[in-house]
Amino acid sequence: MESKKRLGRVVQNLLLVIYTIFALFPLLWMLILTIKPDAQMYTTTFVFSPTLDNYKAVIFQSDYLKYMLDSLIVAGGAVIVSVVAGVPAAYALARYNFKKKEDIAFQILSFKFAPEILVVLPLFMLFQKLGIYDSYFGLIWVYQLICMPLLIWVVRGYFEDISVEIEHAAQVDGYTWYQIFFKMLVPLIKPGLVSAALLAFIFAWNSFTFPLILAGTNVQPITVAITKFLGTDSAHYGQLAVAATVSALPAIIFALCIQKHLVRGLSFGAVKG
Amino acid sequence: MAGLRIEHLYKRYENNGKKKKNAVQNDYAVKDLNLVCEQGEFIALLGPSGCGKTTTLRMTAGLEDITKGDIYIGDTLVNNLHPKDRHIGLAFEDYAMYPPLTVYDNIAFNLKAKGVDKAEIDKRVQEIAPLMQCDDLLDKMPVKLSGGQKQRVNIARAIIRRPELLLMDEPLSHLDGKARQAMRTEIKRLINDIKCTTVYVTHDQLEAMSLADKIAIINFGVLQQFGTPAEVYDDPVNEFVASFIGEPPMNILETTIAGEGDHFFFTFKDSNLKIAVPERYYKVVSSGFKCKMGVRPMDVLIGGADSMGTPEEVATFENLGDERRIGIHVGEALLMLITDDEARYKSGDIIKLEVRGEKTHLFDIETGDRIRE
Repeated sequence: MESKKRLGRVVQNLLLVIYTIFALFPLLWMLILTIKPDAQMYTTTFVFSPTLDNYKAVIFQSDYLKYMLDSLIVAGGAVIVSVVAGVPAAYALARYNFKKKEDIAFQILSFKFAPEILVVLPLFMLFQKLGIYDSYFGLIWVYQLICMPLLIWVVRGYFEDISVEIEHAAQVDGYTWYQIFFKMLVPLIKPGLVSAALLAFIFAWNSFTFPLILAGTNVQPITVAITKFLGTDSAHYGQLAVAATVSALPAIIFALCIQKHLVRGLSFGAVKG
Repeated sequence: MAGLRIEHLYKRYENNGKKKKNAVQNDYAVKDLNLVCEQGEFIALLGPSGCGKTTTLRMTAGLEDITKGDIYIGDTLVNNLHPKDRHIGLAFEDYAMYPPLTVYDNIAFNLKAKGVDKAEIDKRVQEIAPLMQCDDLLDKMPVKLSGGQKQRVNIARAIIRRPELLLMDEPLSHLDGKARQAMRTEIKRLINDIKCTTVYVTHDQLEAMSLADKIAIINFGVLQQFGTPAEVYDDPVNEFVASFIGEPPMNILETTIAGEGDHFFFTFKDSNLKIAVPERYYKVVSSGFKCKMGVRPMDVLIGGADSMGTPEEVATFENLGDERRIGIHVGEALLMLITDDEARYKSGDIIKLEVRGEKTHLFDIETGDRIRE
């Protein structure tokens, strides 16, 4: 009986290990590509002469760092705008009763329904007319379609979980509304806010269609810039892999930094209580 | 410490949320409420859910706008004062503790927000904590506390600021039976100790009767009666008050007066029960007069073998240990009586019913108002 149980556990773990390898293999393959010379790029054996040439070419001989910075500015800016505008919006949707409240909330959510490719052409015309084509402002603005609904809906749930009596107690205790908001409520919604902001950041960072069509010369986020390594006559898969690997780093670093909040945040909101 | 004076208070909630274009205005949640609470008095606002008692309390605390009317705390008109400037302590129904803070910090929160210095805060917390028996909870986080403990902390938090007026919003409603009784006794003791003017909202008449110096009974936003527990129990102004106070509630039966010679009797449809009308009512009743008769279950007695009472059949019998409740069909209504005699009955048994006629109350059939002699 004992041994049977143990065998079961071994099999279970073995299957998990196999699945992990299967799931992570593309990433591993990408990492391998980054240190392969162009000549050996298409071999499928694991035998090759490792080189750092690809890294040198991408990081020092192209505008790669500028693209990274562009990505940081637009994705970071988009998240900041979303937080500044979205948290009060979420509070209003959670606490106040006004006409068409649920309609407005659903309208905000529905921004995420339409495929980007569907709305991007009208947006392109609009951006041309408004003169915000190919600008930081334009991209940060359009990224609100990605970030804002997520943030508002997650944070709204957190606000709804907080008893309104806590606010009243703080009022009686002598706090003004902004003290209540910043000192009582913000700490309570922090887990949700942090996890929603991180997800929004990742979505904005990975966005491709919007920056491809609505920017491209002055402002080039990394997702768009990566395609440059595919020329019409040659494809530098090694450099492409380096660009992709390095561009994944910021999100991973952010996630690690706020991991503590993230895990709590995602589970905390799920169960009311 | 200060008194509380409420004058012609009205409250109407605007219905913003509704989609209908020509939505009708809501009824008043509180209608023309007048109340005077003397310095040091403990008054209870009592009524069923949704009667406007909590709304009144919240307007007093400043958490709700006043539609019309004035509220004075002491001699100060507080209508437009911020809650923090009203010198009130408020104990919330849901405890409303700040989850990230320890019990100590929760209790000290108000003083900290006011900027009282640390040594003074500590002194006051150490003074209040034993009073509410939460001195060994001070380091704990609110999530770790039981309901009763939370309520203790909640009340400690309300009184540490030494309020002019202490407001309590159904503080016991989330506690279970035993904790509720223990807490009730504790509140009584506490109020005796600190002698603070207190307004206590509850829907439980037992709490109101046992704690309050005066009870304000409210229904549909209208004050029905304001008086001492004895007054509202013995001398209710209308059918609502009569049926709301007392457990089990007063029996209220529709009756027709029948005259026999010089005497009048209460008679009931489909029943041969006959109760003598006390002489003090002779001026207002006449043969054929219809009204409602109220009598408390304690005032219905079981007669002995030689009793002149009407024989009636027992419909229900509940043995509650130290008292027994017997229900008897009077037409379609059920007349309850409470007896502490030891005899056991079962349904179908015949008992002789005697009603203390002098303890009966008459109410108008239409309005429910008391008919006085």
